[in-house]
Amino acid sequence: MPYFAGIDIGSTAIKIVLVDGNGDIVGQKVSASGSMFYKYAKESLQQLCKDVGIDESDISYTVSTGYGRKLFKEADETISEITANAIGARKAGERFGTIRTIINIGGQDSKAIGLDEEGNVVNFAMNDRCAAGTGKFLDVAAAKLEIDVEELGEYHFRASGTPLAINSTCAVFAESEIIGLLGNEHSKEDIVAGIHFSIAKRIIRLTKKVGLNDIIYFDGGPALNEGLVAAIEDELGREIAIPDYPQITTALGAALLAKESFGYAEA
Amino acid sequence: MSQSGPLKTRKRERKVEDPKSRHKRHEAMEAVKALDSIRFGFSENPKEMEYFYDLFERVYCSGETLHTDKPTIGTLCIQAPYEIIYALGGVPVRLCNGFHTDEQSGGDFMPAKSCSLVKATLGMLNQHNIPTVDRLDFIVHPTTCDQKTKSISTIEDMGYSVYHMEFPRHKESEESREYWRRSVRSFAKELSVKIGRKLTRKSMKEAIKKVARAQLAYHRLSELMKNDPVPILGKDIFLVTNAFFFDDIERWTNRVHALCDELQKRVDEGYNAASKRSPRILYTGSPPIFPNLKLPLMIEQADGVVVADESCSANRLFNDMVSVDEWFLYDMVDAVADRYLKGCTCPIFTRNEDRKRRLADLAKRYSIDGVVYQSFAGCQVYEMEQRSIQRELEKIGIPMLYVETDYSPGQGGQLSTRIEAFIESLKVRKRRVDHKKRGAV
Repeated sequence: MPYFAGIDIGSTAIKIVLVDGNGDIVGQKVSASGSMFYKYAKESLQQLCKDVGIDESDISYTVSTGYGRKLFKEADETISEITANAIGARKAGERFGTIRTIINIGGQDSKAIGLDEEGNVVNFAMNDRCAAGTGKFLDVAAAKLEIDVEELGEYHFRASGTPLAINSTCAVFAESEIIGLLGNEHSKEDIVAGIHFSIAKRIIRLTKKVGLNDIIYFDGGPALNEGLVAAIEDELGREIAIPDYPQITTALGAALLAKESFGYAEA
Repeated sequence: MSQSGPLKTRKRERKVEDPKSRHKRHEAMEAVKALDSIRFGFSENPKEMEYFYDLFERVYCSGETLHTDKPTIGTLCIQAPYEIIYALGGVPVRLCNGFHTDEQSGGDFMPAKSCSLVKATLGMLNQHNIPTVDRLDFIVHPTTCDQKTKSISTIEDMGYSVYHMEFPRHKESEESREYWRRSVRSFAKELSVKIGRKLTRKSMKEAIKKVARAQLAYHRLSELMKNDPVPILGKDIFLVTNAFFFDDIERWTNRVHALCDELQKRVDEGYNAASKRSPRILYTGSPPIFPNLKLPLMIEQADGVVVADESCSANRLFNDMVSVDEWFLYDMVDAVADRYLKGCTCPIFTRNEDRKRRLADLAKRYSIDGVVYQSFAGCQVYEMEQRSIQRELEKIGIPMLYVETDYSPGQGGQLSTRIEAFIESLKVRKRRVDHKKRGAV
């Protein structure tokens, strides 16, 4: 049985997905990318193969994606994370219906992708160059509030009253704004909710540029944060679709592309 | 109590470099890096490109200057009429600058959110070190761009002599046409006094022809880009047009023709400078100026090919030729004025139907798959016009990618991801259209 690997080397995490000849997921792994993208990606792939019980040589074709995609020299092909995300979302979101709008929040950027009926990328929008409204922004805020990133969701739902406004679009300035709010004796809960709503507003503004279609699919690590999901839903006024494993959509897309490319190569 | 001695004790002895020589060294390093990726980052460059690679190397990396014997007139915008400068025996040298090093030092004179090009130009002028020439006799500034216009007093404070040419913001009216004609006439008089030469019917006619020959050479080069497959990559075209900023115009014209001869052979042989599936890109917006050719380079590194552009560092330099009714001196000067105003598609104008028309026209004639629109962050007019251009292109079914950039080299990751994703989506689109075409047959 041939296997296909999709490796998504992001700014915060390395995500690997292995699929079989039917395009079904046989293994997945998320690990920190740290400072040595290439080394950690290789180690992570070895570990995943071991866990799944296959040999690395059983992998017929590998596609890498993400910021570190070009560093993974063993890849047969590289692809931008936008195209990979689109392919992955169509598969992972099959049970929701036809996905035509994707919101992705990553470690250092956020993006919205618009797809056509067939799943091809028709347009996309990305935030510019700073950590505003990204996973990094949540990290910085959580660190300042002395809570774990995983706890942010819990805090969100414990907030009371109107959410506080965090107006700064920059992670660095937002931190000073958070300090200001703490100085005014606002609770951590209210601040967390304020942060979520400010990210939600930003990402919706970005998504409007590509069009808000029926089903909005949200992926990337921050999609695990239920507080943020709720904030986006509240701002949109409707439910959004979250896949079972939001972190690996892009890696899945790369793996599926690997399968497809290999098919082409065979023929 | 004063004390003399070392400022601090340290383990490592070091000598602090003179800021001016450090600046110069950084510039040269930037130029070498850019030139290397243009030249060696791609294989099979046309042989005739060697002249241009070599020219940039000599001027920007080895410090050679040109035009030492003639009055050099620095221009801050392409709306300064070259024909008049040549007719008076001067040499126009475009001062618009593309160095990140200069952008950083020029930032001292500008608000934080302002155009990279203007900042870089100020940074360069402040160093009193213009890479292309060893002196500037005079600077002419047509009042097109607001940021440049407001920079003039700063430039004068640096010790330069600057002449303002008033430029209208509304293109369609008879008043603006007359207004600009007067500006051009006054400029001709002023320059004649400064240089100490008289504008004659003969010299004006010769200058118009000299510029027209350069325009024709460029048009020949662009015509070759209509071919599919393309004979040369867009990064080289930008280098060629950038050379027009400072090279001797006649030598430049001859070199472009030599390049065209070689490219014509490539076309006859069916040679493809890009790859089979490369989407054909039309570039528009803030001008790529050496060494900041990063956007065209990124597009072509991502397997797209820039086959046409609508920008003031290439296409707009050569649009519309002077059309003279009667070869009398004043008719010629007025005809020169008309060429500059009517052909201009700069976003500083109130309405810009001409720019929309030109883009739609280029998209059609050059079989364009997608448009990349770059705006230097802080250039409000380009930023504002982006929406209306996008809408216009949507009407004719051409996708557009809008990017805001500056001169910083570290923007690579996010920017290249966008470019690559755009190229990938164009490829998918192209394949689908091909399928449909084949299906229909």
